[in-house]
Amino acid sequence: MSATETAPNVERTAPNVERRLRVAGVLLILGLLIEGATLFALDRPVGFLTFAGLGGALLVVGIVYYLWSIVP
Amino acid sequence: MDFATGIVASLLVVTVALVGLIALRPGLTAARGGKVLAFFSFFVLPGTAFWGGFQLHMEHSKSTRFCMSCHVMEPYGKSLLIDDSNYVPAAHFQNRRVDRDHACFTCHTNYTLFGDYKAKIGGLRHVWVYYVGDIPKKIELYEPYKNRECLHCHDGARNFVEAHEEDLPTLRSNETSCLDCHDQFHPVDKLATLPAWKGATLP
Repeated sequence: MSATETAPNVERTAPNVERRLRVAGVLLILGLLIEGATLFALDRPVGFLTFAGLGGALLVVGIVYYLWSIVP
Repeated sequence: MDFATGIVASLLVVTVALVGLIALRPGLTAARGGKVLAFFSFFVLPGTAFWGGFQLHMEHSKSTRFCMSCHVMEPYGKSLLIDDSNYVPAAHFQNRRVDRDHACFTCHTNYTLFGDYKAKIGGLRHVWVYYVGDIPKKIELYEPYKNRECLHCHDGARNFVEAHEEDLPTLRSNETSCLDCHDQFHPVDKLATLPAWKGATLP
């Protein structure tokens, strides 16, 4: 009996994909939390810079890492 | 919290919740519905939240309060309250010729396609100088003030056109500067000696 015949009839994501999704998720959540925090500093240049520089960078890295993780 | 900020904050909360769900249970993405949910949560929603937040920050960065948050700008803000209509910025601010909440930005931006963004890129340099560099004792514009920024509002106004009939062609072509005649601006070095508009405050 081959391996494919014994495998359960349930789709599974590869463990390395799951790990990458978690990493991308952490990066995105960090970026989103920073962006949320800057909403309390809308009238200050530092808020704008933190939003675009730090929050934006984390979001970009998180999104790119996610897209990379789903490429077969 | 205003409406726009509330929308962006809500979007951020929803996005964090969905990203957290996928990150905690990545097995959800095995099914087609999970893949679609992950794509929205990891790509579409964060991108939308960033765009919304960026627009929000851009709008707030045009406010007088934003400019006045740097101590260097405080005397320039105070000069808007000088009780003398010969000073152009003060007369504009006090007589509501400019929106008081956007007083600085209304006159100090280029009315071109990317004028807002050009001003913000210049602002990055200002923040760097403010925190890291040496703040110059006398603050000057990057380039001579263009008539375009005045004519954006004044050109076509009856009282302006009638009062400047002879000079209009050279004003429009920038050969004559508005500032040649209207030459009183932000006298930050003699603020203490000038009368102030009593009881008035900046936004």
